[in-house]
Amino acid sequence: MKHLFLFLALSFSLFSKAQNNAFQAGESLTFTAGYNMSGLMTDFAQVTMQTSEVKTSSSTLLRLKCKATTYSKWDNFFKIRDLYESYVNPNTLKPYLYKRDIDEGGHYKFVKYNFNHRTNTVKSLIRKKSKNFESGFWDRNANVKINSGTKDIVTTIYHVRSLDIKKAKVGAIDTFTVLFDGKETKCKFTYVAKETINTAIGSKECYKLRINLINNDALKGNDNLIWLTADENKVPVYAKFKLAVGNGELKIKSATGLKN
Amino acid sequence: MRQLFIILGLISAIFAVILAVLPLSNFAFFPAIAGLLFGILAFLKGRKENKPKHTIQLIFLLTIIALALATYKSITATTEVGNTEQLEQRDQESEENAIEELEDIDFTE
Repeated sequence: MKHLFLFLALSFSLFSKAQNNAFQAGESLTFTAGYNMSGLMTDFAQVTMQTSEVKTSSSTLLRLKCKATTYSKWDNFFKIRDLYESYVNPNTLKPYLYKRDIDEGGHYKFVKYNFNHRTNTVKSLIRKKSKNFESGFWDRNANVKINSGTKDIVTTIYHVRSLDIKKAKVGAIDTFTVLFDGKETKCKFTYVAKETINTAIGSKECYKLRINLINNDALKGNDNLIWLTADENKVPVYAKFKLAVGNGELKIKSATGLKN
Repeated sequence: MRQLFIILGLISAIFAVILAVLPLSNFAFFPAIAGLLFGILAFLKGRKENKPKHTIQLIFLLTIIALALATYKSITATTEVGNTEQLEQRDQESEENAIEELEDIDFTE
């Protein structure tokens, strides 16, 4: 599942940085994650991406949330209940707090990043279940130095949507940096084409983008693609990533609360 | 050659039944069809040599069960999310904790 999110996030820091005109608080996107082998598709999970406003005593932040839940028929075999979230500045989309709380087939992991953009550091906490400790958890705290502009995976997904892709030319290449598992990962993306595809929310003209990871084996080859609607919302409607046998797919099911 | 077809057919048929029982039932069609083909080939070979057909009958039986189960599941399958109560609770707690934590952060940067 983490590869799925990583794949989504690996869509670019494209071209000119526009003001966020793509999404607002209250947006909800629902996807179906599945596995496709020679045209036979098996759906295994539902992925939701939601935005909401969060108020502290001094400011208002945007909460970006991704959830992955396996369908009931899979729960007895491999139950997934993942929660990824990021609290960002609504104007600049700078992340301040990122949390990843995953429960995959009994494997539990919690990751928290507190971003400090003044010192370009991230205070990271990784927590796993362990019988060796009285609390029942094994904690590892660390301070990670990051480059300016490095974002977490959830913020990156949304950041991509805020970019002015319409100004880019077919064949344009760019790279950007994501902090995942305490490491900065660089990825290259290529604007492949403009295509019209049929989705559950209608026939949409889309930007087709190819994603490649640099020095990372999570996504191999040139068949990792994402389609974003070629309108102001830039909704990710379809994503495809190559596996050893067959393809993993993410298809949009519904989209509500769109800004435009 | 007949023995080889029987072994391959039996393996495919068993594999098809296992897949048909699992949530991966859509993929049971591949080994089920392979099982049927191997079964037919073994049957044709055996007919010429007038050999017993019990194992071949078993292959056909297993593949038919697998195909029937996979077809039934593909027609009736519902893609609904299971119990998410715990996840919703984690979600809510996480937001409350985050608000507390974000109180101390300087957003001017």
